[in-house]
Amino acid sequence: MTLGDPTTKGTAMTENDPRITPPVHISGPRGPWQQVREGMAVRGNATVCTTWGEWLPTVVGDPHLRALLGRDWQRYRRSPDPVVRARFAASRLAVKYTAAAALALDPGDIDLAYRLGGRPYLRGFDQIDVSLTHTDELIAVGISRLGRIGVDTEPAGRRMSFELMQDHVCTFDEKQELAVLPEQEQSAAMLRLWTLKEAYTKAIGQGLRLSFTEFGFGVAGPALLAPDGRPAARGEWAFGTWSTLGRYLVSIACHDCGLDPSRDTRVQTMLDDGFLGAVAELVALEQQSEPLAER
Amino acid sequence: MTKELIHATMATTAETFAARTDRVRSRGPEESAALKRAARLEALLGDPHDPANPHGLTALFAADDRRETPAETEQLLAEAGLGAEFVPAEYGGRLTRADLLAKVLRPIFRRDVALGFGAGITSLFATSAVWAAGTERQRRNTARLLTDQGRASILHHELAHANAILRDEFTARPAPGGGHLLSGRKDVIINAARADAYVVYARTDPARSPRSHSVLLLDPDQLGAGVRHLPRIETTGMRGCQFSGLQFTDCAVPEDALVGRPGEGVALALRTYQVNRCLIAGTVVAAADTVLHSAVRAVTAGRSRPVARRWQGPLTGVFADLLACDSMASVALRALSLLPDGTHVLAAAVKYVVPDLLRENLEELATVLGSRGYERGGSAYGALDKLVRDLPVAGLGHAGTAACQAVIVPQLRALAERSWFAQQEPPPELFRTGAELPALDYRLLSIAGGGDFLAASLVGSAARLANVRGVGGQMAALADLAEAFVTELRALREACRHLPAITPGSLADPAVCVLSDRYALVLAAAAVLGVWEGQDGSDPFLAAPAWAVLALSRIGGRLGIPVPELPEGCVEMVLSELVHRFRAGRSCDLDATAPAQ
Repeated sequence: MTLGDPTTKGTAMTENDPRITPPVHISGPRGPWQQVREGMAVRGNATVCTTWGEWLPTVVGDPHLRALLGRDWQRYRRSPDPVVRARFAASRLAVKYTAAAALALDPGDIDLAYRLGGRPYLRGFDQIDVSLTHTDELIAVGISRLGRIGVDTEPAGRRMSFELMQDHVCTFDEKQELAVLPEQEQSAAMLRLWTLKEAYTKAIGQGLRLSFTEFGFGVAGPALLAPDGRPAARGEWAFGTWSTLGRYLVSIACHDCGLDPSRDTRVQTMLDDGFLGAVAELVALEQQSEPLAER
Repeated sequence: MTKELIHATMATTAETFAARTDRVRSRGPEESAALKRAARLEALLGDPHDPANPHGLTALFAADDRRETPAETEQLLAEAGLGAEFVPAEYGGRLTRADLLAKVLRPIFRRDVALGFGAGITSLFATSAVWAAGTERQRRNTARLLTDQGRASILHHELAHANAILRDEFTARPAPGGGHLLSGRKDVIINAARADAYVVYARTDPARSPRSHSVLLLDPDQLGAGVRHLPRIETTGMRGCQFSGLQFTDCAVPEDALVGRPGEGVALALRTYQVNRCLIAGTVVAAADTVLHSAVRAVTAGRSRPVARRWQGPLTGVFADLLACDSMASVALRALSLLPDGTHVLAAAVKYVVPDLLRENLEELATVLGSRGYERGGSAYGALDKLVRDLPVAGLGHAGTAACQAVIVPQLRALAERSWFAQQEPPPELFRTGAELPALDYRLLSIAGGGDFLAASLVGSAARLANVRGVGGQMAALADLAEAFVTELRALREACRHLPAITPGSLADPAVCVLSDRYALVLAAAAVLGVWEGQDGSDPFLAAPAWAVLALSRIGGRLGIPVPELPEGCVEMVLSELVHRFRAGRSCDLDATAPAQ
């Protein structure tokens, strides 16, 4: 399996928003996770690209796989196709290990839960938001401490017909912009647009339920626009598209709620000592005054 | 619930709610008076969709766009006596119960969350420490200040994982000759530049302990040298609110500024925040309601046919969630009066669940609204754009939820060992709208212990519903759902019993955070069941099981527990009520409040 130089970071496709940390390649449970932590500290977000094969030894060999998968274990067991099963497990492990790097805890302590619309989240740990996508061998996981994050990936060579898809994907302005491009560029631009739109709708937890013609992106560096071309946000959103591992396109959408949250996302430090101490003290007092055996 | 009532409820499910007539619920004098004041505010604020109305949505959105406080509307509220709503009745104000205060505030929050904070509840959040522990003189002065249209600002202490609003704190050290010298800098304080009183949670002990902070009540005009105003901070959410900083450098503070005992700050924060938490939840529901209305408008405008099938799921789902959020908030707000020694955990759970659910709801409504959701500034569809930005500020994001978890987590083991499946159910007045309740008294609020009345209510609800399990239809689905949440509570009991003891400074088992999340959702389900059971039949829609089935299915889905298929007619019934309320301009909460006449 040739995946290009695994140490290189993703290559920017167009004018990407500098607020997004470019994707980094991770080759399994051992990371390296330093760049993820750095991205989280500096820009508040990080995206990991990995291939499911790199997680296969863990999927096949880790005696704690059941505990690691948690509630996803049943779904894992139900998949009859071994490739589908392994890829499913690898993607969940990739999410848990990536999140664990930011939360500074054991991946097995994470309960990967799902919103009603299917978006994954980390139950009990809302200091980071997560997004997961995969295509072919690639798995991409985005995490952010600033707000919602959405990631989407497609094989870079996938041909996406402007003719066939434009009415389902493009706003009026986007059609105008794409129509004048030579055919090959047109297909590449369509693919980029598709992944950006997927990334955005995944960030808000809606996926394809939100029609892609209801919003658009500008030409000069992606900015969220209403279909009539007016700005649809006030700078809370950042977008970017990268080429990664030589043959995949990864788009990332990051929202910043503007709360300027703590850089510290560790679980160990999240519960306020003052509050915890005051409540724990009183609970202990109550227990002393009413021992359990007497009730 | 009696067998007769269950049968009566099943019969009402066949009714067409669109044709219902509103029967009047019986209410106590205090509640009637509060509802009259709410109606007066609603009337004063006027038609939100009239572009010429200076207090309408267009004007409020425009002020937000310009990063200005809506001065005219603030003035209107001040002159209407909003400040007195934050002063306990025994000091000449109109604050009797937190649930009634939330009802009075909803007309404001329905239009603008930032206005509700900037011109409203911030003053209560600040002064609540005075109501909880102030001297007679501090109370009288504070009462006078608020009834005379004054404002109070809260200068929070720094909490774990603090964001800009909760970051940094002030330190007070004993001054020679008495009083304190206050030092420190904090950059993001709401109304810092225009407050008539500061309530400071200042560090008085460098040790990390529950007695590390003390509360000081300061009059900005009386402060001498050593205080500096810092520039206004522009925020993403609540753009119109005036956030700015303060810097104190050895600023002399008199001895009588101390509120409560030295070192009582953390305890006072825990005691008063529970009221704030319930109020925030109970009022932001009204703001989300406006967005739901705009989404119904989007799919019904210019259309005579029924709502398209693809929008029925998200619209009814969000409506059910709003009713669930309101159930949870209302039960907690009422409990502050009725069960003041045991509401702290519920209050933390409410604040943990409601902003998160509403955020998810806004995202669902974004899909329904489509490109209309980007029509910034217009009264018809502009509410989404604004609330998406304002809601995180109201909920304070992760730092806000983590502060709630810090209250729940240390109690889980004791609750599992002593309360769940052992405690008695709360009095029925807790769930019954219109039932008279004692006045809210901040002095009576406990900050730990006292068991878990709402878990007891869940077990009771499930037991009463058990005999309709298996009969099919919506009632049986409700009974199955109730049992599913009891099963979840049982699983929680097993898991929480084995938790290690909690000691500050080290989190021995991160599972407690996961368990606190699950527990908070179980309490949401318990509140829905309690409110449904508490219906007196005057509102046939709320008395029917459809909304509760839908709400509980969604809470169960979030928990990942098995939920039954939605029974036939459930979505249709909730949709019909939603469209009916939209057409009548009624609110999509438990009160179905009529618009201004």
